[in-house]
Amino acid sequence: MAYRQLSRRVILGLAAAFALAAPALSTPTINAPAPAFQAIDQEGRARSLAEFAGKTVVLEWTSDACPYSHKHYDSGNMQRLQAKATRSGVVWLTVMTDPPGVSGYMTAEQVRAWMTKVGSHATAVLLDADARVARAYEARTTPHMFIVDKAGRLVYMGGIDDRPYTDPASLRGAKNYVALALADLRAGRPIAQPVTRPYGCSVKYAP
Amino acid sequence: MRWLAALMTAALATLAVAAPALAQPVNTGHLTAELVAQDQGIAPGQTIHLALRQQMLPGWHTYWRNPGDSGEPTSLKWTLPAGWTTGDIVWPTPRRLPVGPLVNYGYEGEVLLPVAVTAPANAKPGQTATLSAAASFLVCREICVPEDAKLSITIPVVAGGGGPDPTWGAPIARTLADAPKPAGLTAAFQKRGAAVALAIAGPVLQGADLHDAYFYPFDATVIDHAKPQTIDRGPQGLTLTLTPGYAFQGAAAPKALAGVLAVDGKAYEVAANPGAPPAGASGLGPPAAKGGAAGGASLGLLSAAVFAFVGGLILNLMPCVFPVLAMKAASLAAHGGRDEASNRAHGLAFGAGVLVTFLALAGVLIGLKAAGQAIGWGFQLQSPPVVAVLCLLMLAIALDLSGVFEVGSSLQGVGSGLASRGGLVGDVFTGALAVVVAAPCTAPFMGAAIGWALTQPAAAAMTVFLALAVGFAAPFVAVTFWPGLLSRLPRPGAWMDVFRKALAFPMFAAAAWLVWVLTIQAGETALARILGAAIVLALAAWIAGAAQRRAAAGGRPLVLGSAAVALAAIALAAVVWPAYAETPSEGGPAAKADLASEAYSPEKLAALQAEGKPVFVNYTAAWCVSCQVNDRVVLSTRPVVDAMHKDGVTYLKADWTKRDPVIAAELARYGRAGVPLYLVYGANGGPPQILPAILTQGVVVKALESAARRG
Repeated sequence: MAYRQLSRRVILGLAAAFALAAPALSTPTINAPAPAFQAIDQEGRARSLAEFAGKTVVLEWTSDACPYSHKHYDSGNMQRLQAKATRSGVVWLTVMTDPPGVSGYMTAEQVRAWMTKVGSHATAVLLDADARVARAYEARTTPHMFIVDKAGRLVYMGGIDDRPYTDPASLRGAKNYVALALADLRAGRPIAQPVTRPYGCSVKYAP
Repeated sequence: MRWLAALMTAALATLAVAAPALAQPVNTGHLTAELVAQDQGIAPGQTIHLALRQQMLPGWHTYWRNPGDSGEPTSLKWTLPAGWTTGDIVWPTPRRLPVGPLVNYGYEGEVLLPVAVTAPANAKPGQTATLSAAASFLVCREICVPEDAKLSITIPVVAGGGGPDPTWGAPIARTLADAPKPAGLTAAFQKRGAAVALAIAGPVLQGADLHDAYFYPFDATVIDHAKPQTIDRGPQGLTLTLTPGYAFQGAAAPKALAGVLAVDGKAYEVAANPGAPPAGASGLGPPAAKGGAAGGASLGLLSAAVFAFVGGLILNLMPCVFPVLAMKAASLAAHGGRDEASNRAHGLAFGAGVLVTFLALAGVLIGLKAAGQAIGWGFQLQSPPVVAVLCLLMLAIALDLSGVFEVGSSLQGVGSGLASRGGLVGDVFTGALAVVVAAPCTAPFMGAAIGWALTQPAAAAMTVFLALAVGFAAPFVAVTFWPGLLSRLPRPGAWMDVFRKALAFPMFAAAAWLVWVLTIQAGETALARILGAAIVLALAAWIAGAAQRRAAAGGRPLVLGSAAVALAAIALAAVVWPAYAETPSEGGPAAKADLASEAYSPEKLAALQAEGKPVFVNYTAAWCVSCQVNDRVVLSTRPVVDAMHKDGVTYLKADWTKRDPVIAAELARYGRAGVPLYLVYGANGGPPQILPAILTQGVVVKALESAARRG
């Protein structure tokens, strides 16, 4: 067991060696421990991944300035998904990475107002203006979805569905990867599509 | 009124034929879109190209078929008259558009997206067809805006085809010609550890400039777009080391890697299957970066030529050259009575001699390079025997300048012998002789330009040598054209002897410096050897001087001369053979530096980066004078040492005093053929900041602070 751990370390080390210019943390990897994070939420509480050990956690990147996020919020698609997940005990963390000066940036107060306005069912919204969480997960787009299982392993990362368009009509008949992955987890099945292409606006990283 | 009606009909008919495709541009907010046609009309059954033209506001972009880390490609939904068909968008090669740590592929400014359109065979000439498209595109700067446009274009059906559109015919043809195409490339990919190696080979890649090669995948999940693609050249192609994308983490690894290879201003379609790499796709190492592409690291051709010209001018003042020129100038003065035209002819003949000799020298160097030899002064200085021989050469030159013995006199004798033939041939030989005598002096002054030229194509190398030759010949030729200048030149005289003896001391210093370099390379035993050899050589020089004086007095110098030659040979042999023992690099200057540093390795750098630590990398060598100056004057000073501690910067030293392929590859990545190179990596990764070759405390401290902040 220790040997396997060691060899995983060696492999991760090699990965880092190859990606010379890579961000400081190693690339998020399916079935590997999910990257740890700490952030402040919209109520000013410190949240961390460790806090939710033993629970399934969904991370959802969003930006109110992004037409792709709007497609899912204006149609109620995202809120329905949040409501269904949180009802079954899943922790849903919405992450906002837009830094001050970028049009999607919100203060804690604005986030609380936004949650009421859109009718968010998220457990909390993480204020990630310094992009620490985004860097840890290499979040690329809004939306970009990650699922961490009860054992703390990263089991899904990618798009919310298979329709990379802003047109709300594209939601009809879309294959929602997150809903399917959560269903697989609940049923104890391996996740059929653990990695998909994230689509949307680029996550705006604080310089 | 009949005539008026006839005129109007004729005018309308002309308009109908001449009026090419008609379309209205639509401004969608952040770009203007319109459909344009390559031809003015279309024949029944013919295929021509239309194009969606997008003119974006400055700073805004639209996307390629694979948009990269985010975004969405432009799409067209056509509404066509019955029987008409259109093809897919022909995507021009995109650009990389970095957004923070992400990279998108797309277009800025203006782009034409061509689409083939085919008229049915039963289309009637004289009719027009209106083709409509619903275009939707995501246009982004920091924020993204989805925009739509209903576009249409009306095309006349013309029996023999319409001929190219005067406005859009040429641009669309060019776009189609430049678009990526299959080029008979064979390609294969393999997972190698955490990376994916994509090997591509084919005739079009042979001899291509590969320094900016880049693979744009069609699929957005197969590679990590933001990661650098490292290049290994091969005789028939190249191997790109890519960072795998999400797809490689899925249940089944990708079965194919398809996309566009952009290289050397062209673009080719590539389809790779898993498997062993094709032959000739690797093994020659990374390409040298070109023309500042890698961050202004390289010496541009123009500046190298200017550098070479100035270097050529300076060569005139070299102790090994000035006597020859002084002699020649004196002979010119002696011919004072001759007419100007004759003087000019002499000057030009001398110039021709210089040029021909320099170009011959360049030819030899290029030939040697083609033969696969790594020549370049930096490389030479990494070999202990070469350093030792150079050291003895410097010592011999110094002793000669001091007047212990005379080498120049016999060569000058040959020169004056040839020159005294008087004719133009004599001038050509004097020019050639001046170059030959100058050759040992070019090394310290021209090392950079020659080294650069040797990494370049033959034409560039020739240019640099030509500039060197022109600079070298210029003063003398100028004097023959404007004899008035001669009176302003210092007259040869006793001062020259003083000047010459004074110049011996820089040469002694050069010899001493080389002794120090050799000691670092090969240890104390080598120090004993070189000092012993130096004493024997000095003895040989003294005996040779005595022989020359005896000869001058009419004596027989044979015995003394032979002894001198034998002793010199012994000294030389002693430093070349036997081979020098390798010394561990810990004995190098790194260990002695005041500032705590660690030896560089790519693995260590990666590990430090993974820990999120800022890193300063110093690529240095004992034989590199500017490196030593920077080390002592800047890097070892209190403010810099304090800044390193304060900002938590780890100091890595990459010591290139001895040959090291890993360090050479890193240098090549940043467009350097030699040291120094200073890189500062930020705490949060990303490409390093490249510091100038001449450091100041301010530059370093500022770079360290900003590196720590990038966290």
